[in-house]
Amino acid sequence: MIYSTELIKGTLKTIVLKLLADNKRMYGYEITQRVKELTFDKIQISEGALYPTLHALESEGLLVTELEYIGKRVRKYYSLSPSGKSKSKEKLSELADFIETMKLLLDLKVKTA
Amino acid sequence: MYCITDEQVDFILDDIRRNGIEMEDLQLNLLDHICCIIEQNLEADGDFEGFYRQTVQQFYKKELREIEAETIQLLTFKNYYAMRKTMIVSGLVSVMAFVTGSLFKWMHWPGAGVLLVLGIGIFSFLFLPLMLTLKIKESGSKRDKLVVTSATITGLLYCMACLFTIQHWPGANVLWFSTVIVSFFVMIPIYFFTGIRKPEAKVNTIITSTMLVAATGFLFLMLNTRPSYRMQEVKMYSWLQSEQLLQRMQGANTDTDKLAADINRISMQIKSLVLQNAIGMPAMPHDFEKQGIFMEEGNTGPAFMDANSKGTRLMSELKEKIKQYNAQHSTAPIPVAHTALDAPADMVGRYSNYTILNTITQLQLYVVSAPHALVATK
Repeated sequence: MIYSTELIKGTLKTIVLKLLADNKRMYGYEITQRVKELTFDKIQISEGALYPTLHALESEGLLVTELEYIGKRVRKYYSLSPSGKSKSKEKLSELADFIETMKLLLDLKVKTA
Repeated sequence: MYCITDEQVDFILDDIRRNGIEMEDLQLNLLDHICCIIEQNLEADGDFEGFYRQTVQQFYKKELREIEAETIQLLTFKNYYAMRKTMIVSGLVSVMAFVTGSLFKWMHWPGAGVLLVLGIGIFSFLFLPLMLTLKIKESGSKRDKLVVTSATITGLLYCMACLFTIQHWPGANVLWFSTVIVSFFVMIPIYFFTGIRKPEAKVNTIITSTMLVAATGFLFLMLNTRPSYRMQEVKMYSWLQSEQLLQRMQGANTDTDKLAADINRISMQIKSLVLQNAIGMPAMPHDFEKQGIFMEEGNTGPAFMDANSKGTRLMSELKEKIKQYNAQHSTAPIPVAHTALDAPADMVGRYSNYTILNTITQLQLYVVSAPHALVATK
């Protein structure tokens, strides 16, 4: 099952921030691949959603970038700024809380492994 | 694994640009991303162009440009929170400045004007425009945008009219009439006819529209209940007659008292300051009726604003002279108790132009009709 874009859209910022918190620095393609890998292909971030989000996070001051030349092309690496680090924690606990609430609201039976 | 050549990199970058991606940052990101996909997924001897087309198509629904549009939208949305914060802060600041300014004005403390101008200025030119921008962004339909815009314009006009009235700036009346006209013929109709069509908003629309019409009506009525021309006219002629009486008596007076001359000189200076503020010239011309000059009751203007202003200093000087005069002529002193000449220097600005003019003219009448002066005339 691949999730609908509506579900992904609301959590994309959090996903990106969390990945960068765990991986120091990443570039766009790497992020999409890592998400695919970690979710067993269940979440596939589209380029059309990822890059606008990365640019927005950068202009909010949550991400810092480094450019690296790969032959003729330039690769842009993203990493968390100090404010991005605290924001990623904040966003993560918000989402965790949200999931708990959704469980309550929708009366979901969560399988405990 | 495919190896991309420099020409192919240029080809991709060209294609991205041609498809409407103008932001350089985004171009670089997409280029690298596409190259990665091709390098990872295309066989070493695969068809580059065909695979490229296939790949890039997965990036969008209709056009590649969507990505840039989405980016720009997110970037502008970023300002949303900053704007909302500014709006709330400016709203608070303006309300506080307005409330304290009103209190100062009411108590006639100095600084009221600055506070009020600041309060209303911030409200009109920061808070209202920000609110309008945010509301327009939030509201989906064109109708809502129209309602919010017309209401903001009316609000802005209303604030300006208030400010101009409080500060005695010229043009307040024009602003009040504009407010009434825009409110009655633009804002209320737009609000009413857009709201009445929505079944869920029908009752609210009717109630609010009725209240708006009533409020605008009251405003219109108040515009026509200013102090009547007749009242002002009586005030003006009453002072002018005292002035004539004074001139008649002065004409027949040959008193050479030095102090009396000083008092007269300072009096003339003070009166010309008041007149300059009220009618724009230092004295009332003889043919004022022909020229259509009419003096309304108002404040005494900037020359009496605080303790260091020119007018206020002249008043202090005058009081000093009167003290000396009264010491010399203790049999018939000039009474100053309970008049504007009795007030502390920084309170003088509180009196109206007619109060000051009448007080000064009366003072001069006392001087010219003093027993010793009348004896001198004989």
